[in-house]
Amino acid sequence: MSILMNDSTRVIVQGITGRIGSAQTHWMLDYGTRVVGGVTPGKGGTTVEGVPVFDSVLEAVKQTGANASVFFVPAAFVLDAFLETIDAGIKLIVIVPEHIPVKDVLRMRSYAMEKGVFALGPTTPGILVPGMGKMGIMPASLFAPGRVGIISRSGTLSYEFAGILSENNIGQSTVVGMGADPVVLRNLADILELFENDKDTDAVIVVGEVGGEQEEKAAGFIGRQMTKPVAAYIAGRYSPQGKKMGHAGAIVRGSAGTVTGKHDALRAAGVEVLETPVHVAKWAKKNKLK
Amino acid sequence: MRLHEYEALDIFEQNRIPVPRRELVSTMHDALHVAGEIGYPVIIKAQVLVGGRGLAGGIKTASNPDELKEAADELFTSEIKGMPVRKALVCEKVDIAKELYLGMTVDGYSGKPVIVVSTEGGVLIEETAKTSPEKIAAIHIDPSFGYYPYRARSLLRMLGLEQKLITSWSDIIGQLYHIAVRYEALIAEINPLVVLTNGVLMAVDAVLEVDDSALSRIRFPLPDRVDRIENPLERRGREIGVTYVDLDGDIGLISSGAGLGMASMDIIGQRMKPANFLETGGGITADLLYRCMELIMMKPDLRGIFINVYGGINPIHEGAKGVVRYMKEHNVKIPVVAKALGNRQEETWEIFRSAGVHVVTEAATEKAVDVLYKLVGPGNKSKAARAKGRG
Repeated sequence: MSILMNDSTRVIVQGITGRIGSAQTHWMLDYGTRVVGGVTPGKGGTTVEGVPVFDSVLEAVKQTGANASVFFVPAAFVLDAFLETIDAGIKLIVIVPEHIPVKDVLRMRSYAMEKGVFALGPTTPGILVPGMGKMGIMPASLFAPGRVGIISRSGTLSYEFAGILSENNIGQSTVVGMGADPVVLRNLADILELFENDKDTDAVIVVGEVGGEQEEKAAGFIGRQMTKPVAAYIAGRYSPQGKKMGHAGAIVRGSAGTVTGKHDALRAAGVEVLETPVHVAKWAKKNKLK
Repeated sequence: MRLHEYEALDIFEQNRIPVPRRELVSTMHDALHVAGEIGYPVIIKAQVLVGGRGLAGGIKTASNPDELKEAADELFTSEIKGMPVRKALVCEKVDIAKELYLGMTVDGYSGKPVIVVSTEGGVLIEETAKTSPEKIAAIHIDPSFGYYPYRARSLLRMLGLEQKLITSWSDIIGQLYHIAVRYEALIAEINPLVVLTNGVLMAVDAVLEVDDSALSRIRFPLPDRVDRIENPLERRGREIGVTYVDLDGDIGLISSGAGLGMASMDIIGQRMKPANFLETGGGITADLLYRCMELIMMKPDLRGIFINVYGGINPIHEGAKGVVRYMKEHNVKIPVVAKALGNRQEETWEIFRSAGVHVVTEAATEKAVDVLYKLVGPGNKSKAARAKGRG
């Protein structure tokens, strides 16, 4: 049915009492997500959108049986809260905030790997399983249940692709934002592997952008191990070299991280490269996806 | 934030990496004065934040005042890859026996800092990687284990170097790693790191790019980030809290995300030319979009505006209010097309329509760009300008 989230996912919202945390808790509940608690140190005992707030992650886990967490914590406090969450035994963490120092992300990533925690972000819109629930900020109206997986570096482009598919009556199994930073907590290939092993996903769309080498490295995995069809779009063909295009990770340095380089690597792995987003509908129809 | 060479060299020097005698100048007269003190021959280097500065004519050697006059005159009246040269560094010309490469960056795929060394200095490391990979060696540093000097020594041994060079070079690696940690550098590079004829190692160039997300907690003095943005529109973007990149077309763009903004540029670029890239990030308010409109309208001769926003984290109905307020106050006559989907989309459409904005309610950006194209036509898009935008 899905990857990462399922019927037994019980979510806590960290930073639930903040402006964005409380607004997004509303939308997550509205979509049917099982949000069982929130954490803001010092605000324990209150409620937000009817959800109980706790002072610590451990307490939230004990009281609610939570097994997943989504972060709306200010960037400066994310590292600390992340380590606390892992120590409390949570195994799925979504880091929505942007502007987290890379040094912190390196520490977070290494601790998550060590403890077997699956974490996404930073700068991710999160995870959405159409018709079931979401952890993060994806606007639910654009998604529809189905059998196509989407992995995107960009939040807004994940909505765009899901929206185009939904309008063409092609649904999604799970939509995953991997994050737009130069270092993310999970590599593209790791998420592709989950989709490859998911019996309810028939094909996967990778939405990448200029900069870094996630798509190039994932191409190796796709060539070696993926049996399901994969299509990819890479944003940033007209991005000037050396300019940071909003996302900290979206920058072309010298000859590295260009659209052309990514296209070449993906094509060599048998991936269908989409020149422009709207072509995704044609590709899905050609592959008889639903 | 990438530091200028002169700023990075100062930091290297403070951290005991040998660097040449040098002084920053902003006029030809100053250059002559400094060179007189340092002694000829000298090297004069344009202080502009572009890659490939040397190949673009930004580095010149002068053996006497006449040559320096000519070189400085040329530098200060020229642009290097579109950037005006306001400052230059006059450096002593040292006697070089060999040029090496030392760089540190963060490997996004492994999630670890990586140290790269090469016995081929002064050229692009990507080129060496292609032509003579045996001359490059690299190690990853596990962030939870940390850096120890033996790692640098074993790295250099991989290049088959003699022990004397290994000892002095590994010291420099240690210093540079220390700098990279203290300044939260995403890139720290010395290219070339030179071996002087007397055997001493010296950094004759310096690259240091500090993590923007860490600026507020770095405890060492750093230049102001906003001040150094050359382009006034890009500076204004930073001031209001959005990412603005100036381009040479005539279609204004506002997007609520970086990926969406890049894709919008790509799609506009197929038939028209974007005047800018602008992405708001997750902080949309009515005021912010009012200021975004103000910013993109600063470019004269805009033929149309494309607003592409999703209501995920952003309250797009608030954003629409700001756009509409600007349009009414400034009597905007050029076509404005808005694609706005997500939370509270119907309300957003109503607001946009009240000011005559053409609202697109389908997800595909191509459809919206098509609507805009039908309103404004192709304009006078030149192939040359497009190629320039592509870098």
